Amino acid sequence: MTKPKKIAAIIVAGLFVYLSLYTWNLRTGHLDALSAYTGLDITGWIVRPGHWVTDRVSDFWGRYIYLVGLRQENERLQEANARLRLKNLMLSDRADATARLERLLQFAPLDNWSEQGARIIAHRMGPVSSLETVIVDRGSLAGVQDDMPVVSLDGVVGRVLRYGATASHVLLLSDPNSRVSVIGKEKRSQGIVVGQGSGQDLKVEYIKLNSPIEPGELLETSGLAGIFPKGLPVARVKTVHRSDISLFLSITAEPLVDVGGLEEVLLLKRMAGPGENNATSVN
Amino acid sequence: MQRRSTSLHVVSWWTVYTIVAVWLQTLLPGVDFLASGLVLSLQERPGPQTAFLAVLWVLLQEGMGTMAFGYGLMWFGVLALAYLGGQWLFEARSFLFMCLLGIMLGIGHPLLAFFLGSLQGVVLPLKELALEGLFQTVLFPVVWYVARTLFPQGMRCDDSNV
Repeated sequence: MTKPKKIAAIIVAGLFVYLSLYTWNLRTGHLDALSAYTGLDITGWIVRPGHWVTDRVSDFWGRYIYLVGLRQENERLQEANARLRLKNLMLSDRADATARLERLLQFAPLDNWSEQGARIIAHRMGPVSSLETVIVDRGSLAGVQDDMPVVSLDGVVGRVLRYGATASHVLLLSDPNSRVSVIGKEKRSQGIVVGQGSGQDLKVEYIKLNSPIEPGELLETSGLAGIFPKGLPVARVKTVHRSDISLFLSITAEPLVDVGGLEEVLLLKRMAGPGENNATSVN
Repeated sequence: MQRRSTSLHVVSWWTVYTIVAVWLQTLLPGVDFLASGLVLSLQERPGPQTAFLAVLWVLLQEGMGTMAFGYGLMWFGVLALAYLGGQWLFEARSFLFMCLLGIMLGIGHPLLAFFLGSLQGVVLPLKELALEGLFQTVLFPVVWYVARTLFPQGMRCDDSNV
């Protein structure tokens, strides 16, 4: 065999092996799991200390360089205030810590769902990351599973796409491959919210022409797909167009969560046991 | 003893490179900062070291990525083949050759993502992919140049200490 023929044979054989591996992995997911339990976790280990360093530097800057005395005095006053508030808390049995904790505590537990907090450690990164995702610092060691709903205090963020041992990918609502079954809070029209890319409004599909829905109405999860609990806020209707050539309304909606400024999220895990899923108590 | 010290330097240097590259990837989505390192490793220490780095970086890229396993393998495979093939035509360490590799990666990124995305049945934003390809084209030779400049003389393959 001549040299060019040998090279061509090697390339063809390589492509054959590659496509075989690719197809086998699409069916079984073994290589995805391998890369998630190695690459994703290592990425988490690399990125997390950076966040810690950033926090410490920012803290140092705020504490010692920027507003030196004022900041410390403010801290002392805040500490005294916190002690008084703690006393008040014990007396009145009300949770009243920092603004963020206060809001977190207001997140009323969902029936049959448990929540755990997670920190966003990175957004989309690397050439293989073409979907709109964020990486959070919780993985299978913390009980994370595929398709776990991810929410913030403002509404639905997305769902778990893939997980490693200590980190997970969350597919955001804004990704064009994301689909969430929703229902209008007031008029109860049902549809499906579809992402249109980063920074774009969401699209609401399959709402019939004669369905009652108006701009400003809040869309909540319908719970029909079995992934999200019923009643979580997803988006607010922005525009409604009645088309002459379609059987469905053309609707756009604004997401309630600004993922760019989000630092923490809540992962919802379905608990075993009978009962209806209800999230109407979410603030 | 000196050999062990050099090996330690090599491991330390590539560890730091990997950490910095991963951090840079968090700042600029869709761009690969490890690819330049692969070419540098092929130039300076081809063989087991490059193979190890390639496996590690494929796992890293696939792990931090969201598509089914395969993109990283093809991405680094095509880059390594293009580099090894291009050596016959170009000066292996020339900036021009790196620019050509950057252009190839820049064009290859949206094409490969689109092709593999079609196989998986996922919708991908083509405009963003094209923009990422543009960034990749520009940054690949720059990162290679910076990494090569910072790469210690004592660790190079033509160095008598190694």
